[in-house]
Amino acid sequence: MSENAREKMTDRGVSSMPSNLKLLLLGVNHTTAPIDIRERLAIPTHRLADATRMLAEQPGIREALILSTCNRVELLTVQDDAGGDGISADGAPPMLSMIHFLNEYLQVETADIQPHVYEFREREAIRHLFRVASSLDSMVVGEPQILGQVKQSWTVGREVGAVKSTLDPLLQRAFSVAKKVRTETQIGSSTVSVASVAAELARKIFGSLAGKTVLLVGAGKMSDLAARHLIQQGATTLLVSNRTEARAQTIADALRTPSITTGVIPLEQLHEQSYRADIVITSTGAGQVFTPEIARTLLQRRKNRPVFFIDIAVPRDVAPAVNDLEGCFVYDIDDLQQVAMQNKAVRNHEAEAAESIVTREVARYSDRLSHATSTEAIKQLMLQAEAVRQQEMLRTRQQLAGVPLTEEQMAAVDRLTKSLTGKLLHPQIAALREQAEDTEPD
Amino acid sequence: MALLWLRLAVILYGVAALAVLPAALYNRPRWRHVALPAALAGAFFHFVSITETLVAAHRALPIDTHETLSWLGLLLAVAFLVLAARYRTVSFGIFVLPIVVLLAIVPAFRPGTETIVYPFIRTGWLMLHIALLLAAYAALFLSLIASMLYLIQERRLKQKRAESKRGWLPPLETLDQIGLNSLRFGLPCMTAGLLIGSVLALQTIGLTFFADPKVLLSFAMWIAYILMIYIRSNSGLRGRRAVYLSSFVFLVVLAVWAANSLSAVHRFKAP
Repeated sequence: MSENAREKMTDRGVSSMPSNLKLLLLGVNHTTAPIDIRERLAIPTHRLADATRMLAEQPGIREALILSTCNRVELLTVQDDAGGDGISADGAPPMLSMIHFLNEYLQVETADIQPHVYEFREREAIRHLFRVASSLDSMVVGEPQILGQVKQSWTVGREVGAVKSTLDPLLQRAFSVAKKVRTETQIGSSTVSVASVAAELARKIFGSLAGKTVLLVGAGKMSDLAARHLIQQGATTLLVSNRTEARAQTIADALRTPSITTGVIPLEQLHEQSYRADIVITSTGAGQVFTPEIARTLLQRRKNRPVFFIDIAVPRDVAPAVNDLEGCFVYDIDDLQQVAMQNKAVRNHEAEAAESIVTREVARYSDRLSHATSTEAIKQLMLQAEAVRQQEMLRTRQQLAGVPLTEEQMAAVDRLTKSLTGKLLHPQIAALREQAEDTEPD
Repeated sequence: MALLWLRLAVILYGVAALAVLPAALYNRPRWRHVALPAALAGAFFHFVSITETLVAAHRALPIDTHETLSWLGLLLAVAFLVLAARYRTVSFGIFVLPIVVLLAIVPAFRPGTETIVYPFIRTGWLMLHIALLLAAYAALFLSLIASMLYLIQERRLKQKRAESKRGWLPPLETLDQIGLNSLRFGLPCMTAGLLIGSVLALQTIGLTFFADPKVLLSFAMWIAYILMIYIRSNSGLRGRRAVYLSSFVFLVVLAVWAANSLSAVHRFKAP
């Protein structure tokens, strides 16, 4: 392979994988293993480096990466080719050596793991990795954390020297595929939990929530969660109103942070004071706490600035007719759940588009990999042939020591041998190229 | 050559107007990357075309309806780009860019034949008068679009329809802010534009200038403009009523424009 070709290949982020090395991925995830198995297999972050190093030292394993999250534990390895009998050069079947590692390292019985383990080889392993990085294999499809977790595993693998010339470009490709999926589809653009849907809706009304006031009426787990989401999004003032003032104070104290101002509104002053709030989260279940008349007064005092009611109570605290007032937006628990469901459907629809991107990228990567492999083999063949030619040229020169050839004659012999070598190698090179094309994906 | 640049600008605006649809409606960032550079390049060539025309003709003012509309088109294109940069939204392009195409396509392919006869004194002030009033019109138009988008977004939120996080419309408060800020920008432009025009007219025409229908309507427009800002700022008028109010003032602006044919001062004449 010429230097240029080599550079081009490296530029495209693909290094050739010698044909005697194979990619193997072994793992368990939330669909194949119950939580009691996953928690026994989980490798905490502080032990990841040690575990990766140890895996890379297993017989037959050249490179290794461990991905351990709450929903999956996966071992990605580059191994010596096991050949047809499934036995590696070191005598151990590759899959067993990885299970053996889990058994040794985590003290988990092989029999306990084996029924839950999935295994992907070569192209399927590449596809799986791309899907995982793109969050297509996650419990909540499109969640963004997984990419960071894969990147963390990659960093650790590089640091301990377990991720090298084969896994490194593969992982970098996985990151760019994940990025492509995020930018070309809307897989991660909609929220799917009720609390985050409420926060997202608030952002659609107010844009930035910085400086906004949230009023919490009543206490409840979900309203508390929604308030926390709104605070995370930038809301800076939290007012609490509850039947018992002491309870309201406790809630306010629990949600107070250095950047949040909190306050308590006595329930009997709720209607007079609620105009101060941009977002009202209500969960008393007392029924009709906010009627259209009260909401109208509230709007007047707010000079028609919008107000967002998040009604988590059953029976509802906010009369549905309040939503008909200009400037009032009322979402009850059913509305929020419905939006969350619709968002899930949107994500699933986008996941189809994301799958096509992954399929395309797997094909492209495999294609480049097979080309890189055949190019490497051709390069080796040509180097060997050239070495033989040089040897023969040297021998000929020594034999003709008494009758030295002129420079022109030497050049002619050189051309002749080069031409012969090229012609003799041509069928083999063509066969290698053909073989590479045959192994290309459809 | 100026015509060629203008035609190129029209094509680029057209590309931007088409690309902005998937960019805004379906949140396709790729199309956003087409729409914004195309609009920017369009505005650049539009500016080059106008400058070249003025330099070639040794004048600083538009002399026919088409040229004036072309100036307005450029101002609207610039306003769209400013909004895209400031508020990260291309939604306004859905309405603004087709209007820009329309305003620029006529002078690009059918240059005007009517001319306005200026009292060729104090050309700089006259130019300022025209530019400020056109900026005020553009600001009013943007405010009208912001009010309409507010209405659409409000309805979507009330109907509780799911959409992606990066929905095609900016948040309600942002739209409200854009609408009000546009008006606040337009008011000093309109006031200064009218004031400059009045002083120039008094010096050249005299008091009879104030009996001109266009001039009278212009002052009515100015009062309507101030009233609109006052009502919106003080009562927090939003949504449907804000659209009605903006539409009313916009109709007054159109009436002022149409009054050119009745005006002795602003009338465009066939050469």
